[in-house]
Amino acid sequence: MSRRKRMMEDLDQDIRDFIERETQDNIGRGMPPEEARYAALRKFGNVTRVKEETREVWSFLWLEQLLQDIRYGLRMLAKNPGFTVVAVLTLALGIGANTAIFSMVNSVLLRPLAYREAQQLCLVREIIPELTQTYPTLPANLPNFRVWQRDCHSFAEVAIVTSTGAILTGYGEAENIYGGLASANLFGVLGIVPQLGRTFLPQEDTPGKDQVVMLTDSFWRNRFHGDPTIVGRSITLDGQPFQVVGILPASFRFPLRTDYFKPLGLDPGQFSPFEEFDYTAIARLKPGTSVGQALAELNVIQARIAKDAKHGVGLRAEIIPLESAFVGTARRGLLLLLASVGAVLLIVCLNLANLLLVRVPVRLREAGIRTALGASRARLARQLLTESALLAILGGVLGVGLAYFGLRWLVAVAPANLPRLDEVHVDGRVLWFAVFISMLTGILFGALPAWRVAHAEPQQALKAGAATITEGRPARRLRESLIGFEVGVGTLLLIVAGLLTTSMVRLLGVDKGFSTEHVLAANITLPPWSYTKFAQKQEFYENVLARVRALPGVKSAGWISRLPLEGEEKVDNICVPGQLTPRSQSPTANYRYVSPGYFESMGILLRRGRLIEPADRDRNVALISESVAKKVWPGENPLGKQFYPGSDEKTLAEVIGVVADIRTVALDEPPLMMVYLPAGCARPWSGSYTSLVVRAAVAPSALASAVRGAIQSVDSGVPIQHLQPMSEIVSESVGVRRFQMGLASLFGVFALLLAALGIYGVVSYSVARRRQELGIRMALGARGSDLRNLVLLQGMSPVLVGWAAGVLAALVAGGVIRSLLFGISAQDPLTITGVTVVVLVTAALACYIPARRAMKVDPMVALRCE
Amino acid sequence: MSTKEQRERIELLQGTLDLLILRTLLLGPAHGHAIAKAIEFRSDDVLQVEQGSLYPALHRLIKRGWISVQDGTSENNRRAKFYRLTARGWRQLAVETSKWDKLAGAIARILGPAEQEGES
Repeated sequence: MSRRKRMMEDLDQDIRDFIERETQDNIGRGMPPEEARYAALRKFGNVTRVKEETREVWSFLWLEQLLQDIRYGLRMLAKNPGFTVVAVLTLALGIGANTAIFSMVNSVLLRPLAYREAQQLCLVREIIPELTQTYPTLPANLPNFRVWQRDCHSFAEVAIVTSTGAILTGYGEAENIYGGLASANLFGVLGIVPQLGRTFLPQEDTPGKDQVVMLTDSFWRNRFHGDPTIVGRSITLDGQPFQVVGILPASFRFPLRTDYFKPLGLDPGQFSPFEEFDYTAIARLKPGTSVGQALAELNVIQARIAKDAKHGVGLRAEIIPLESAFVGTARRGLLLLLASVGAVLLIVCLNLANLLLVRVPVRLREAGIRTALGASRARLARQLLTESALLAILGGVLGVGLAYFGLRWLVAVAPANLPRLDEVHVDGRVLWFAVFISMLTGILFGALPAWRVAHAEPQQALKAGAATITEGRPARRLRESLIGFEVGVGTLLLIVAGLLTTSMVRLLGVDKGFSTEHVLAANITLPPWSYTKFAQKQEFYENVLARVRALPGVKSAGWISRLPLEGEEKVDNICVPGQLTPRSQSPTANYRYVSPGYFESMGILLRRGRLIEPADRDRNVALISESVAKKVWPGENPLGKQFYPGSDEKTLAEVIGVVADIRTVALDEPPLMMVYLPAGCARPWSGSYTSLVVRAAVAPSALASAVRGAIQSVDSGVPIQHLQPMSEIVSESVGVRRFQMGLASLFGVFALLLAALGIYGVVSYSVARRRQELGIRMALGARGSDLRNLVLLQGMSPVLVGWAAGVLAALVAGGVIRSLLFGISAQDPLTITGVTVVVLVTAALACYIPARRAMKVDPMVALRCE
Repeated sequence: MSTKEQRERIELLQGTLDLLILRTLLLGPAHGHAIAKAIEFRSDDVLQVEQGSLYPALHRLIKRGWISVQDGTSENNRRAKFYRLTARGWRQLAVETSKWDKLAGAIARILGPAEQEGES
């Protein structure tokens, strides 16, 4: 027998003894025995409480009570299976959605980059003040980087990297692979240790010694099956041997897609300081140096470079912490989603609080009895909180399961260009988050009902029968304000979702300048070792175009050096002869090489003049976009005008036509100035990467295999990538927005349904409560429709208040999401009106169903039921 | 019990009950009822012992090892639980008493002059 148990038995005996003695004393004072005993008991007070408080001295009483509460709580939940199922399921959905979204936020925004002391790492970009209108900042330039490396003392080290690509042969099918061209110190700056082999040596940065590569883990595993003996051997890239010196660790992440890295191996002498702003410069700040200090020093160096170059333009720099540069604009969208999903959970809590509040009168009676038997208020509140915590834990466990599967789905549907997406998974921090929000929700929805029950007067609760405890005005007010709050939050979420959806619709409807229907695109890379001369490439393309055009179902075909929406490339000046401004300050445009048939296939409209024809390949001609015409020859007829296509060009090109502006970078970025040159003898095109564009009379995907066959029948050694309809490319380019819109809409609808459920619950409860009153009203002559309207009006009044508050909040807070919108203001009246209709109709429906029940109250039954 | 009597009674300060129990047991082992009665009697009924706090206090003292409990026979030959001061309880009583003296003295010093000022 435990000491505690023995002590408790002693206590029982002692208390009995005490009361006995007190009774004897009272009898001694002349009281009758019966009365003496009662007096003694009264004097002693609450025996149970004394025992419990004494037991507390001896035990982990709270643990014992907790187990007791849990047992009792489980019993209560089992007794109300309907309520329990609804509560656990909504909680699981709320907690699960929150956990899943938090996992994404955790991986994308919170988890530090897998670099050594990542907070010291910065991205350096350059600014040419004269160009800031077109290019606020530019990537770094190689010669300037050399100067920083030598002179900037705020940097512990600077590295530079740019994207490159190569065709891998000798291992199965030829494949175009992605690479990073990096200064030898890149991995030193990032603090990356290879899992096999070594990183680059300083001397490998010089031309001739740069025939070495490092492979990324995923590429090594996929292409070489993780064979460790590959280190030290050679692989063939672009027909040349490269020795594999190391394998990067699996944890290594880089914002550019990379399969391999190769040292720069470039001769710095061949670059001038104001060209080729093509490089990503990554600097590690010296410990204790702030970004501001580094920037101040760097700007002094930049000013000196600009002065020495004598180009007549200035030069500055910008330093961005690497972390924010990586994550970029994803932050705001993700935080918005987190806030939305948090709001959904809040509504879940309010709904459950409301459901529990409805049960308060029943619990009051029970609480009254328990208080009379000696339970303290704290004990009562704790018991009720245990019940809600149990619900929250059940919901949380189920929610984490949902989050685990939901996350897989989220990652699958999330746009591939969401940064760090491949790192998303459930980790310890996510689990703690789930535990935390489960407990928080339990307390949140349990606190109000627990407080109400614990503070009830026991006498009152015992005096009145449970069914007739009238609900006081404050109790109803409380529940109505919860409903109002739910509707308000739901309205706000729906407005946000509505704005994002409208933005998406506007974005997809924006004038792209090209058409997407019936257009198929394929990226082709010509192996540089077999296509060294321009004439060879030209022959290849002529053969391919001829065969593709001959395919049944093909209307036209052409090629371009880079597709719309694939970003900027070959940005150079438009230099008009006779103009006084220096060439480097004349307007810049994106230059593209095109073949005849491209504009017809892409559906880019001709505004003036004519399109390119086969004979143009030997002529110095150019097509310009409308914005070029407006900017360079304002108010003039651009046809027949001449310009140098690029600051270093010596031969003039003549404008033969003006075509429509197109969205070059993204649908939500305004069109850029474009110049199209016919690839031909007059302007040999030196690149090897092109996109074939085919206009089909049928569904473009049906043509895909035929087009692939046509290309491979010309040369089977040419890798083809991304053979897909143009509509897919457009769709992928708005992936992030679609993701945000989709989730925000999902949360908004979820919130609305929960709010409707809450309204329905409250109104039907109030109808059930008021049966008697409604019966009397009917007996006194009220018509069914009067009663229905009465109930409707009462049910809708908190809805209207909540809706108004939600709209007001949306108007005030709209600025926060302005950067996520496109083509509409955050206060878009149409969206707000639409949401208003949806919210009010849904709420009215939720009120109407129980209100109809009020019509059918039978006055006799209602009056008799007491 | 008249209301006047009720009002003159003072509820014990938190923690002082422990000291009073130890002091009471200094006179010899006693059962719960006797302890309560002794405190009330010796304070001329000014101090009232709540049973709600007496038993938890007794068990707290047992747990700390300052008193022990054993079966015994009372004056009218009935079996009862007797609480008895232990050696550690003796020492503790000395400590608690001197602490109390210091506290009471300090409070008296603070309250004393104020009364004089009020009188003068």
